[in-house]
Amino acid sequence: MADRGQARVTAEDGAPKTGRYEKLYAMLLDAMPSSVLLIDAQLRVVSANRNFLEKARRSESDTLGQRIGEVFPPLLVDHMDLERRLRRAFERNEATQGKRMTYRAPGLGTRIYYYNLVPVAWGNTVEHVMLVLEDVTEQLRLGEEARRAERHLASVVESASDLVLSTDVDGRILTWNVAAERLSGYAGDEVRGRLFSEQCALPERGLVSQAFRAVRRGGEFGTAEWDLVTKPGALVPVAWMGSAMKDDLGRVVAIVVVGRDLTERRKFEAQLLQSQKLAALGVLAGGIAHEIRNPLAISSSAAQFLLEDPDDPEFRRECAEKVQAGIQRASVIIENLLRFARPGARTDMEPVDLVPVVRDAAALVANQAGLQQIRMVVDLPSQPVRVDGVTSMLQQVFMNLILNAVNAMPEGGFLRVSVERSGAEAQVRVADTGHGIPAGEMGNIFDPFYTTRPVGQGTGLGLSICYSIVKQHSGAIEVESVEGRGSVFTVRLPLL
Amino acid sequence: MTSSAAAVLIVDDEPGMCWALGHILKRSGIVSVAATSGEEALRLVQRERFHLAFIDAKLPDAEWRELARRIREANPGVPIVLVSGYFYGDDPEVLQAAAAGVISGFLSKPFLHDEVLAIARAALVP
Repeated sequence: MADRGQARVTAEDGAPKTGRYEKLYAMLLDAMPSSVLLIDAQLRVVSANRNFLEKARRSESDTLGQRIGEVFPPLLVDHMDLERRLRRAFERNEATQGKRMTYRAPGLGTRIYYYNLVPVAWGNTVEHVMLVLEDVTEQLRLGEEARRAERHLASVVESASDLVLSTDVDGRILTWNVAAERLSGYAGDEVRGRLFSEQCALPERGLVSQAFRAVRRGGEFGTAEWDLVTKPGALVPVAWMGSAMKDDLGRVVAIVVVGRDLTERRKFEAQLLQSQKLAALGVLAGGIAHEIRNPLAISSSAAQFLLEDPDDPEFRRECAEKVQAGIQRASVIIENLLRFARPGARTDMEPVDLVPVVRDAAALVANQAGLQQIRMVVDLPSQPVRVDGVTSMLQQVFMNLILNAVNAMPEGGFLRVSVERSGAEAQVRVADTGHGIPAGEMGNIFDPFYTTRPVGQGTGLGLSICYSIVKQHSGAIEVESVEGRGSVFTVRLPLL
Repeated sequence: MTSSAAAVLIVDDEPGMCWALGHILKRSGIVSVAATSGEEALRLVQRERFHLAFIDAKLPDAEWRELARRIREANPGVPIVLVSGYFYGDDPEVLQAAAAGVISGFLSKPFLHDEVLAIARAALVP
């Protein structure tokens, strides 16, 4: 205030220009968001701006003229080595820049400052040293928050149970999280720079590269199932999703890939498949009992006639033939059942002709269909329709679809099962004239455990298993349905 | 025993079953007629009066309770025996139908010839 008082006096003394500048500087000093102190050679404060007084909670009267060790806590002055620095500034015209200090004014929270000591020289003599304190508490806090957010994100990626990795636009691996390390056995350093496709099973590499090229053009790929090759050389089924990482200009700069280990799900699905088979067997049992006991009854009667030792050789021959034919018929039914009930020995993909697979599935259900007054037409081409697949799994799909159709027609109806070629696809269609699916339920029908049947009459697993199997065969399953009119399920599989 | 007219009606969509039942009865001198559908059976009962009917439980064109009702409608009082591999002897459905008088007996497939003959003789006693 003393300076400003002087400035006013000077202005009144007829040196208005100089006085105005001084006033302007004083105002500027007060407006600054930094604390500024002017210290003389006796280390006394000769000027303090408003920012300092507010931050330090001091008044001008108990600041101006005070020694620096009285304005700041002595411990802080010691810690900052402030007196020595000030003396060097006076003696050697030496500035101190960008030092950090922590200061807590009475009744206020701790603030962090960067301070500079700037010698103010007149000619060769340093008369004053300016102490400028910059409050950086907020910046530091923000920087800390940003770092914390970054660390958090990094730990999200590292703690994820899914595989999270990134590649450059050519598909070369940039980052590889802990889950990826754990599942593959490769450390991040070992795979960095390698093509992602090379970490996948050999037969799938072409598809992987193709998917990456699509992402590079700005697209994405969703749930592709490619086997990951582990360090010991094993194959692990993984569901992958990839998307482009773009910069502010919309250019693709990297590709982010997330993968989920399907090992457990495959195990679970295998269990579901088994339980579903048992449920299907329950449905089949009634029809099968009837169908087996008919030939047994005929054979039994024919044998009883033979025991009576009939005279007529023609009749005896007829009886023997009936015994033989009846046993044969019962045995074929049992064989079909066994084929259905036992998991297939092969679970690898191999060329499969869909025609006999669909024919067998239809034959198994034909008994039950007949019992329900359902007219069944099986429309099969004379030529084989080959796809890459697992016979027992495909049979399960068609079996489920046909059984569902039969169950949809408790009052009888018409069931058509067909196999045809359409372009590069094989299409297996199961059409019924049953109760159909309400429009609101169409989205649920492939969900596990979704069922419209009363408790105890269906597990609700059939269609979800069909869906999963067809997906594993790179195919699609579609349904069209009109409530009260019937449904058509179409399975599309890529032709070999 | 009745005269030339068929005494027993056999209804089964499986020709082998008709063959077996027909021969069992024929070898004991009992005349029978076979029908391989519900529709054919109903035509026959309109034309003739039977003293016994063996009906299959699972005909493609007829529900067995309904068939039994309509046979009895045409031939009042005729004993109807359900022949089936689908049910078992004390199956609740069978017991219920017997209690309600829909059927008068049940024969499980496969059967012994003596069982068939015992039923036929009991029904055909003058």
